[in-house]
Amino acid sequence: MTPFLMEMAWLVLKGVMALTFIAVSAMFLIWLERKVSARIQNRVGPMITGFHGALQSVADTVKLLLKENIVPTGADFWVWWLAPFFVAVPAIMVFVCMPFGPSAIVCDLNVGILFMCSVTSVSVLGIFMAGWGSSNKYSLLGGMRSAAQIISYEVPLLLSILVVVMEAGTLSMQGIVHAQEAGWFFLKPNLLVAFIIYIISATAEVNRVPFDIPEAESELVAGYHTEYSGMKFAMFFVAEYTNFFIIAGIAATLFLGGWLGPLAPSPVWFLLKAYGIIFFLMWVRWTLPRLRMDQMMSFAWKGLTPVALLNVLVTGWLLVIKG
Amino acid sequence: MTEFVFYTIAVGLCAFALLSVTVGDVFHSAVWLTFTLLSVAGVYFLLGAPFIGVIQVLVYVGGIMTLFIFAIKLTANIGDARIRQFTRQLWPGAVLAAVLLAFLLAVIRANAWSARALPPVQGPDLKEIGTELLTRYLLPFEFISLLLLAALVGAIVIGKVKK
Repeated sequence: MTPFLMEMAWLVLKGVMALTFIAVSAMFLIWLERKVSARIQNRVGPMITGFHGALQSVADTVKLLLKENIVPTGADFWVWWLAPFFVAVPAIMVFVCMPFGPSAIVCDLNVGILFMCSVTSVSVLGIFMAGWGSSNKYSLLGGMRSAAQIISYEVPLLLSILVVVMEAGTLSMQGIVHAQEAGWFFLKPNLLVAFIIYIISATAEVNRVPFDIPEAESELVAGYHTEYSGMKFAMFFVAEYTNFFIIAGIAATLFLGGWLGPLAPSPVWFLLKAYGIIFFLMWVRWTLPRLRMDQMMSFAWKGLTPVALLNVLVTGWLLVIKG
Repeated sequence: MTEFVFYTIAVGLCAFALLSVTVGDVFHSAVWLTFTLLSVAGVYFLLGAPFIGVIQVLVYVGGIMTLFIFAIKLTANIGDARIRQFTRQLWPGAVLAAVLLAFLLAVIRANAWSARALPPVQGPDLKEIGTELLTRYLLPFEFISLLLLAALVGAIVIGKVKK
């Protein structure tokens, strides 16, 4: 085989591995969310399909695959049709730079973390297209709220990532992990502040409680994906849980040392940290009530952003003092 | 292989750009513009400038397109079928574009492009870009931020409800 074909085959293999991981991880997270929420509310959750309902997500996937694809009357067809791709494809592309281990990464770009941020920013458009294309006022309202929220929380999110980049001196994901060999980043006070800001704004980025006003069931049915059924709905659902894994994975890499850890193989450490953060966020989701829209916006602009800016300034000073 | 990818992106880019200025619906126009901007990012990646490509996506698609969409959404009755996008100066515009194309073609023809013979260049280092921006290009850099601030203040003044 020529080297070119070998390279292509290797790339395809990596892609298939990433896609398999995304699908299985999303199914596992949906099951986990149902179990965690059930335990928090003193229920048992799915129990019938498989051991403790372990096959429930598989059954749900088969059901969604077989469902009819309904196009709402008056929908802007192509915009409506394209929207799930705009949401799902960026979520998959982010895995290009997700470091699972020292060599378990599809491609360690030298602008890694910036690449991840820019790719995820595309999905706002998909959410808005879904809301616009459905020709349903609940969808449109949900899409609007979601877009407003995502761009507002992107400011403190990027500023908290900036602090990590300043400290590590590199944008490469592997470089950031290597910079933490002396000590995980969240142990330093200024980076701990950045970690807290990151977790709060990332929760808002993926529209989870207490920031889930874009899909508040009690007032908006389901927000921007109200009019989607079958596989189209499944794409939104998978993208949502993939994004959930992504924010946890990025948090683990930037602040908790990524795949660094003693004894166990590195991917185990990475997954352990990422799923630890995921469990924490699920716990938050099923404990707190949701915020009002105006409270949410003023918290982002008047609370998080100034603190994040100040944190960047302090980190700059500390770096200058250290030389 | 690179040539094939380049021509695919280039054909797509031209098609998307044409569609974005010719379709009737403003929102469709914005969607086509998004595809155009993403294709431009693809060209940057192909040229071995991932930093510029990433910034292109972050700024244009993540920032400016979102703003466009907000503007479209917040304009009253914009989704109405009666409000259609139209081009009043189609022919002058086309002539101007043709003149520009002829000029660019003349410039391209006049130069001997020996890029193939040269060894591949190492892309500009991120550190270098940052240092240059804050030393040699400090004045233009600060000027741009001033310009943005002026635009912001202007937008607020225009958008303010008069009492």
